Amino acid sequence: MNPIALNESAPRLDRLQITAILGLMIVGVAFIFSATMVNESAASLPFIKQLWFRQIVWYGVGVSLAVTLCLVDYHTLARWSFVAYWGTIFLLLAVPIFGTMRGGARRWFDLGFFSLQPSEFAKLAFILALAHFLSRPVDELRSPLNFWKAMGLLGLPFVLVLKEPDLGSALVFIPSGFAMMLVAGVPRRYLLRLIGIVGVMASLILVDVLFAPPRWQIKLEDYQRQRLLVYFGQDFAPPNATPDEKKRAHRLQQEKSYQGKQALISVGSGGFTGKGWRQGDQTAGGFLPPGAAHTDFIFSVIAEEKGFVGSVMVLTLYAVLLFTGLRMAGQARDRLGKLLAAGVVTLLFSHVFINIGMNIRLMPVTGIPLPLLSYGGSSVIGSLIAMGLLQNVHIYRRGY
Amino acid sequence: MLVFDQLKRSDPQLQLLTIMLCAGLAVLFAGLWWVQIVNAGSYQESLEVQAFRSVRLPAVRGKILDRTGVVLADNHPSYNINLYLEELSRAFKKEYTRSRPRSVVTNDLPFWKDWLGYTTVTTQYTRLKEEAAQAVTRNARYRVASGVVSQVADLLQTTLTLDYTNFYRHYETRLSLPYPVVSNLSLLHLARFTEQPLTALGLELEVQPIRVYPYGTTAAHVLGYLRKDDSSAEGEEAFFWYRMPDYRGLVGIEGGYDSQLRGRAGAKSVQVNNLGYRQTENIWSAVEPGQNVVLTLDLKIQQAAEASVRKLLGPDAHAAVVVMDVESGDLLTLASSPSTDPNNFIRGFSLAERERWHDETLGVQKNRATAEQYQAGSIFKTIVALAALENGLNPQEIYRVAENPAIPTKGIIYVGRQAFHDTVPPGDYDLRRAIVRSSNAYFITNGLRPGVFERVVELGRRLHLAERIGLPLMQDAAGHFPKPDQVRNWPAGNTANICIGQGVMDVTPLQMAVMAGALANGGKVLWPRLVDRLEAPEATSLEAPTVFPKNRIRDELGVSERNLNIVREAMLAETEDMVEGTGKKVHVDGLRICGKTGTAERKEQGVKRNTTWFISFAPYEKPRYAVVVMVENGDSGGRTCAPIAQDVYLALQNRELLVAPKRLAATPR
Repeated sequence: MNPIALNESAPRLDRLQITAILGLMIVGVAFIFSATMVNESAASLPFIKQLWFRQIVWYGVGVSLAVTLCLVDYHTLARWSFVAYWGTIFLLLAVPIFGTMRGGARRWFDLGFFSLQPSEFAKLAFILALAHFLSRPVDELRSPLNFWKAMGLLGLPFVLVLKEPDLGSALVFIPSGFAMMLVAGVPRRYLLRLIGIVGVMASLILVDVLFAPPRWQIKLEDYQRQRLLVYFGQDFAPPNATPDEKKRAHRLQQEKSYQGKQALISVGSGGFTGKGWRQGDQTAGGFLPPGAAHTDFIFSVIAEEKGFVGSVMVLTLYAVLLFTGLRMAGQARDRLGKLLAAGVVTLLFSHVFINIGMNIRLMPVTGIPLPLLSYGGSSVIGSLIAMGLLQNVHIYRRGY
Repeated sequence: MLVFDQLKRSDPQLQLLTIMLCAGLAVLFAGLWWVQIVNAGSYQESLEVQAFRSVRLPAVRGKILDRTGVVLADNHPSYNINLYLEELSRAFKKEYTRSRPRSVVTNDLPFWKDWLGYTTVTTQYTRLKEEAAQAVTRNARYRVASGVVSQVADLLQTTLTLDYTNFYRHYETRLSLPYPVVSNLSLLHLARFTEQPLTALGLELEVQPIRVYPYGTTAAHVLGYLRKDDSSAEGEEAFFWYRMPDYRGLVGIEGGYDSQLRGRAGAKSVQVNNLGYRQTENIWSAVEPGQNVVLTLDLKIQQAAEASVRKLLGPDAHAAVVVMDVESGDLLTLASSPSTDPNNFIRGFSLAERERWHDETLGVQKNRATAEQYQAGSIFKTIVALAALENGLNPQEIYRVAENPAIPTKGIIYVGRQAFHDTVPPGDYDLRRAIVRSSNAYFITNGLRPGVFERVVELGRRLHLAERIGLPLMQDAAGHFPKPDQVRNWPAGNTANICIGQGVMDVTPLQMAVMAGALANGGKVLWPRLVDRLEAPEATSLEAPTVFPKNRIRDELGVSERNLNIVREAMLAETEDMVEGTGKKVHVDGLRICGKTGTAERKEQGVKRNTTWFISFAPYEKPRYAVVVMVENGDSGGRTCAPIAQDVYLALQNRELLVAPKRLAATPR
């Protein structure tokens, strides 16, 4: 702590960003309330068991963790980054063994009062570690060895999360890593190579899933294949299927495209001003799956009940968050701070883009939460820690 | 501004990142615009398709009343117990969880769990194939629902079972509507249920109006009947997910005034959830109950006429009775026999009733009073007599009926070479005796006199024979009658036939009632009136009823009062001449009745078929009612029809006493 800085006229915290965070938290509680209090049985639970209240608890935990982090200079944090990184890697390795199964995927540790989703924290640890690694002098980044080391830092958690399986969360690592390398000044040829590798692999997988005959297809998880087929509007049934198989495939397809379709109907039927808080037909009628309305599809609830006006407001709050974050990156004291800020901002942006995108069918449906709005302890705490890191960079910025 | 600050800074990498973020947010903004503004309508529609079910609600049908306010077609409440399935959805789920197959398995636990003392033997749900899981779900649902039904059965102290296929047909096609557990509760069951309604189980009592005709076959042809038909009326919303049972009138007043009686069906929309269970309901178009139709019929007279036909000729008699107020044109009775109970169309026919309904020779479906046409026979001689009198016939002039050489007791007349038999004995006849005995020869002779037949045809035109009367019953026949240009050059035999009411003329009993009315009221040919008014179903309604005017004159006979009186006196003599009067059986104490009998003979495939008639009006002093009785294949007008007319007059006399005791019908002024 720098006692001299306290006398500076400029505030140490970025108040605009904090206002946006507060705004998002209020919206989050309000619409988790709206999405979960749809029937009497939910309303009759004691408030301690109600999800809007639990979300407030998560906010509280997250904010305190963020404040605690802000007390320590991010340089100190960065020194511990590899401990954090390998700690989360260890957790990711443990998930397949000790984790609990939910919806066909093993992503959580059941701690009784809380289910911990290590991938949420792995993202942050990865950003911290990569920022620390890339903050070395620019010349060193020119060596291919360091590039491949950076790629290794990216690849390890990516593969582990992918194996959970959690394609969505795994994919989020890529833009964050890329943005940090870009900001760090990794030579263009390496970046292009990275883009090239990702692009070629992605298109190969797509072509394979969509067009290859069954025997030639690489082994993707079923649900991943199905989501891609749904997104690209492809028929589930192979061309030589029997009518019975076709029928079954058709049913399965309807089932699998159901969530995305219902989310789209929710958002679209909201219109310009929406139907009003707690007046959403899609939520009340259970068309938006009750398990997902308050988590991954919270944006649909907001968009249905508050319309275009409401969704743009949410988008604006995120824009404020992102651009204040970028400003922090620009004002950071050193490259470590800048990289940290850029990484967190890109991570946040990726979540927002993928989540809102899947609500309006720009993106395939994946289990990516909307930061600060979606219900979920790991996501909320992780997001708030990320905000804490940003503020930390800001507190120890140039001129302090 | 936040964004421009960053773009101005000389840090190309951060600038690039900023631009990419801006681009991403812009894409999201555009996407939201596309979905929420541009295509909002179509998504709203998809929402409605998946979440709203429209239901057509038929209106309560208007009543049909007689002129004194007695209800002839009514609606009775039918009580049903309905089961709202959405109330059971949690019970369905619970029962499913309870009934899922479980098995005890020995788990191969990882070593560390073994150490921690986890047991390796647990009971867990067996994984089910989708079909098997569905079967378990279906059975669970059925068990829950039939449990509720058996509770209802216990409460009602009766036996009820839930039909599996029926239940699932409802579940799969009409889930958002309640399931009818018991329909048409008896009063005892109603009392038991209302004492302790099981609303907690999702059961509710529903009241549904059903059509009832309290007097059964009485005036059945006038009332008509209903058929199940829940299609949308004109100008109504055409598409509904579900339609509640509704009826449409086919014939009679039910048919003719169907749209007024029906009222306007309403509509509600039921919002359902993703499983199809009902959530909320919203009536967006209220029902408008149908109007009541008040008839001019008088139930007492109608019943008397029908009872008389039944008593004298049996339930399958082919007969019609029309009673008309000769001043106003109000139809007090419009009876046709045989008939069927219109309640059968609501409750269902018995086998025998169904056979009777389709029996062609019986002709239950025919309204013989308005829709069937018959040879008029001697009753038309009244008009021929009027025409002859108008042509200058001296009523006292004697005509000698020649003797039939084959049957010396009967008369005969030759027109050209055609012989017309007469039923009267040969002898001297003036107009009065010719009407009283109904001599064919007399009227043929006088009808063939120059100028008479033209007048007959003209009177027929003014009586609007061969034209429909147009009662709103959808049962209407026009009949036949020669037109002036048809008769100019036709054989005298045809003329002779018309003069005795036969040949190329056919009439309906209703037309004959109008004719009798014209003879009675001084020559006014009236429009018969069957419907008095249409009125709002609630007595408190401010809406003015639609009243149809009385005493609508269609035409005038244009004959002198003197000549009318001559015919009337002859008709009076027909009922009062105790020696020769053919219509003396109509006799009613204290009432002087003018009448004319008739028997039209017709050969149909070698079988002789009679149409027997009796037309009349009374009282002679100031006629008020015309009574026409027609019986197919009767013995003769005097013997078959006059006794029925007598019963009708007795009923009319009773009614006069009841309604206006001071103005007795028979009291001379």
